[in-house]
Amino acid sequence: MTPVDVFVPFHKGLPPLRKYWRTLWERRAFITEYSRSELHEQHYDSVFGQIWLILNPLLLSAVYFILIVIIGGHSDKVRYAHLTACLFLFYLVANTLTGGVKSVTSGQRLILNTAFPRIMLPISATVIAIFRFIPTILIFAILRTVLGLPVGWELLWAIPIVVITIVFALGLAILISCINVYFRDIANFLPYLTRTFLYLSPVLWEASDLKPKLQTIEMINPLFPILDSWSRTVVHAQQPHLSSMLIASAWALLLFIFGTYFFLSREREFAVRV
Amino acid sequence: MSNTVHTSGEIAVSVQHLGLTYTTTIDRRPTLKSRLKSMGRGTKQTQVIRALDDIMLDVPYGSVLGVVGANGAGKSTLMRVISGILPPSQGRVEVYGKVSTLLALGVGFSPSLSGRANVRLGGLAAGMSRQEIEDHFEEIADFAELGDSIDAPMRTYSSGMYARLAFSVAVTVRPDILIVDEALSTGDARFKEKSLEKIKELRSDARALILVSHALGTVKDICNEVAWLHKGKLIQRGKPDEVVDAYADFLHVRKSAVIDEDI
Repeated sequence: MTPVDVFVPFHKGLPPLRKYWRTLWERRAFITEYSRSELHEQHYDSVFGQIWLILNPLLLSAVYFILIVIIGGHSDKVRYAHLTACLFLFYLVANTLTGGVKSVTSGQRLILNTAFPRIMLPISATVIAIFRFIPTILIFAILRTVLGLPVGWELLWAIPIVVITIVFALGLAILISCINVYFRDIANFLPYLTRTFLYLSPVLWEASDLKPKLQTIEMINPLFPILDSWSRTVVHAQQPHLSSMLIASAWALLLFIFGTYFFLSREREFAVRV
Repeated sequence: MSNTVHTSGEIAVSVQHLGLTYTTTIDRRPTLKSRLKSMGRGTKQTQVIRALDDIMLDVPYGSVLGVVGANGAGKSTLMRVISGILPPSQGRVEVYGKVSTLLALGVGFSPSLSGRANVRLGGLAAGMSRQEIEDHFEEIADFAELGDSIDAPMRTYSSGMYARLAFSVAVTVRPDILIVDEALSTGDARFKEKSLEKIKELRSDARALILVSHALGTVKDICNEVAWLHKGKLIQRGKPDEVVDAYADFLHVRKSAVIDEDI
């Protein structure tokens, strides 16, 4: 008779990936169930919860628009649309991070008592952020119709851009949830980090406004090409630059691969670390 | 969980020369701040813990293994290795069937969610299907006797309610190899009796049972074999009466009413 499971000392590096993927796939229902329960718990499945989900980003974009008007930037309808669209996508990333950072440490009980691929926890956090992002797409669709922005097949570029953003956010969530196991105060730094990236990204300003002197920002901020392409597509109905799309994809893939490697090679000791 | 019928006497779990050493932080909550503050001072941030040392153990199907030992003996750690939660540092563990994975104690990982949602999530994380969980859910809720509280957030549960739900999950989901880890020591007298009955009932089935308990009376009563762990080492293994008596002598509490009564 052959054993169902054999547990032997592990080597440094990755666990057997095929087996890992299989156990992860078997447990995909956990991810949907967990996200659903969490959203339910946060009342996002009720009418007022949904309204809040829509109202919150709208209020946020209104506040930032006032800021832009006061500091004297462009304040026409295109700028408002740009601000709103970029803010919505930015918050997809920011919400993934805030939800993801504590996903492993707060799953302590489960980690100590059940054998499962730990990566399910940051993935669930990402799925929750995606569910919170969906209503904002609808809002923006209505908003851009009301504002009479141009329409064209170029809008379809939004789909790959959202996919790239999700891969990027997922990679980031996986990485930061793992770092948080070793340094529990990372979560406290996070608001400053996201705020900094908000200002370094073309959200309150447009990519073309950037002074040549500050162009290094474009190089070091992965969100730059993502948000630039996003604004071109959904606000101006133009095709995004191929170079921006390639750089954004490269960032997202790199971060996802690095984050996953980091996480998988360390997750076996989470049970003694959390 | 699995429908394979195992015959009594077949090996369920085989633990061979198992050792476990791990590095953990001295701080309970390691932070970047404390790390930066102690930089250059050469203070140690981590410590190495030898939790298990050369453990040899076999559990055949159709038997009940009792595991006794003082606090910190490595009992729970051993259970975690058998369930595949902690990988061993030395040796080998072979498992011939589905283990209950201490699933019970994982229930309640999200205190803001209801008991029902937690049972579901715990089951899904352990690899059960939605259908399997639905099939067992009524039985779990009935056995735990929580009434309407099953839909209340778990942070509102008392420790007794908590333990009742955990125990119900552990015994209702029918794994080939069932591990019951002390979870049953809380709960009122009536529930204790009920859980003891349940364990005896499970014993008759073709499955292997590992019972980690401080209730020596119960261990003597229902186990076929007992292993005594101390500071990560297997001190003695054998007939329940002998091992439990030796352990009780060791504790200098032989014949004390306190250790006999609890289960």
